[in-house]
Amino acid sequence: MSDFIIHVTIMSGLYALLALSLNLQAGLGGLMNFGQIALFACGTYGAAIAFHFDFGAVSGFVLAVLAAALLGWAFASVGRNLQADYWGIVTLALAEVIRIIATNEDWLTGGAQGIGGIPPLYAGLDGQTRQLVILATVLLLVLAAGLFCRHLIGGRYGLSIKIMREEPQLAASLGYDTIALKRQLMAVSSVLAAVSGFLFAHYVSFVGPEQIDSSETFLIWAMIVVGGLGNNAGAIVGAFLLQFTFAFIPFVKDWIGLPSEYVAAGRLLLTGGGLIAFILFRQSGIVPERVGGRRYV
Amino acid sequence: MKSILLSGVFVLGLSVAAYAQEAVIGAVLPLSGSSATQGDDQRRGMELALEKINADGGVLGHPLKIITEDSGGRTATALDAAKKLVTVDKIPVVLGEFSSGITIPIAQYLLQQDRVHINIGSSSTQIRSLGKGAFSVIGLDDVSGAFAAQDVFSGGAKNVAVIAPNNAYGQGIANAFAAKFKSLGGAITSTVLYTEGQTTYRRELQQLAAGEPDLYVYTAYGKESATINRESFELGLNDKKWYGLYLTMCTADSDPQYVEGQIGMDLNYIGGNGGDYQKAYEAKYKGGFTSTFNGFAYDGVMLVAAAINKAKSLDPQKIEDAIAEIGKSYEGATGPILLDADGQRSTQPYLRLKIESGKAVATQ
Repeated sequence: MSDFIIHVTIMSGLYALLALSLNLQAGLGGLMNFGQIALFACGTYGAAIAFHFDFGAVSGFVLAVLAAALLGWAFASVGRNLQADYWGIVTLALAEVIRIIATNEDWLTGGAQGIGGIPPLYAGLDGQTRQLVILATVLLLVLAAGLFCRHLIGGRYGLSIKIMREEPQLAASLGYDTIALKRQLMAVSSVLAAVSGFLFAHYVSFVGPEQIDSSETFLIWAMIVVGGLGNNAGAIVGAFLLQFTFAFIPFVKDWIGLPSEYVAAGRLLLTGGGLIAFILFRQSGIVPERVGGRRYV
Repeated sequence: MKSILLSGVFVLGLSVAAYAQEAVIGAVLPLSGSSATQGDDQRRGMELALEKINADGGVLGHPLKIITEDSGGRTATALDAAKKLVTVDKIPVVLGEFSSGITIPIAQYLLQQDRVHINIGSSSTQIRSLGKGAFSVIGLDDVSGAFAAQDVFSGGAKNVAVIAPNNAYGQGIANAFAAKFKSLGGAITSTVLYTEGQTTYRRELQQLAAGEPDLYVYTAYGKESATINRESFELGLNDKKWYGLYLTMCTADSDPQYVEGQIGMDLNYIGGNGGDYQKAYEAKYKGGFTSTFNGFAYDGVMLVAAAINKAKSLDPQKIEDAIAEIGKSYEGATGPILLDADGQRSTQPYLRLKIESGKAVATQ
């Protein structure tokens, strides 16, 4: 059982990084990014392509981070004159374009067959120790990312982003370059998503286009909505809560003794019902955003 | 509420008490998500196998049990499921999944944990290199693609166009077909990989027709195949021969007038255990096969049950050896199963079929 919990914690940690990244964009900056999974894809495909062409894991990491930062920058640039909802649609479309490229350029991405056999991180260690070291790495990264986001939000920069979110014209009149702010925010948050993708690829050992389906973006959205949009702790709580719920629903099925044809239906019912309950009864999530909270400007 | 709790505790107690003797195997299937139709069909095959095994006395003197987990068609969920089966349920053998992109990571994990993996639905040739402990009861793309290419070529067509879904299955089989067909001396006029779920495929079909092929090779699931067959009929493309890869799957949901005269290949369910299996399936589920995948799931479970009985043990290593031994000559519902040194199904008998008066009949 403990092995299973370690695994679920690692996966939750990877999703927490993604959720923190999306929370920076959507929660803090009001940037409705529906293409978050494309930034994650930069991470997974960075790792996979580096492995495929024998560049080594370090160059894979550099590739992943650079690609994601560039893509984040491009996301922000494409929509510089669009309102939030239209920009959201553009990001969704861009993410789909990237998925379609990944499905078709098989010389680079392995096409629909994907790239398999990516070696795990810390390959020298034995299975059990490796899991623990990966767990420690992921948890440290989540902690570091959480502190980094807190620092970003708490400072002057965070305030300027919040003004841009609430009153873009006011921000512009105060001399803030809102397009530059958006670009920076997207580039920085994209790096978090890429790190998550890079670790995911090495952990799962396989990268393929079905992993970057647009439905995955909405799972990350569900995490920050449940956890509390605009709150870093909320993003982490949401990621862990949803991931653990997903992982433990099969046990509920075993305990109740449901026949296997109800497994999928039960899972969908529980997660869907849970989300609706949150939207009805706790709109601001488990850990709501603190308005005018402590800051260290 | 109290009674539910009590029955839950009872079931839990029962399963813990019975664990020591009962043979329990695991399955990871896409019961939800985009491949849910195929996943549910795999589940049906397993259910039939379970009924047959347990009617015949079970495994090691006890009824066999399968714990089926839903992958949701997602790698992450499938991996959760596989880890649960190994670390919590302590299962020696896991069958699954459907998409190669999910089968490969769960198989790699299972092999790392010294468990046995049986591939029952993925045909990517990458599966061949998974390593010891991984078996496939389904012929990989190179096996089916090569058969179809040989069949089409010997039928006299030299220039063919290929249309297949743009997913791992479609890309794999289209590539395998093209490689073999070209090596025989034929030419591929065009290959179109279509995105699933469209309301129309006219553009793709016109693009296909532009190369003026002697014959069209296609493969499609349910709804897509119905649309493709209707539109190719409307566009007049059926003046040339159409060759279906897994013909019954390609024509199941189509109006018979659109597919009349089509030829193709399919799995051989006739003879051996196949006929009885097909009857049992039709009797239980009131209709023909939903997909071609239920038979492999059935064979996977039957093979594992036979292997556990032969090994007289639930030790994964012993089961693995027994599967390799049985796999030298095993008569499955999908025809004889011969596993090669990599544990892969090296040969698979296919049927040549033709649609006559709305029914698929075997030729030769």
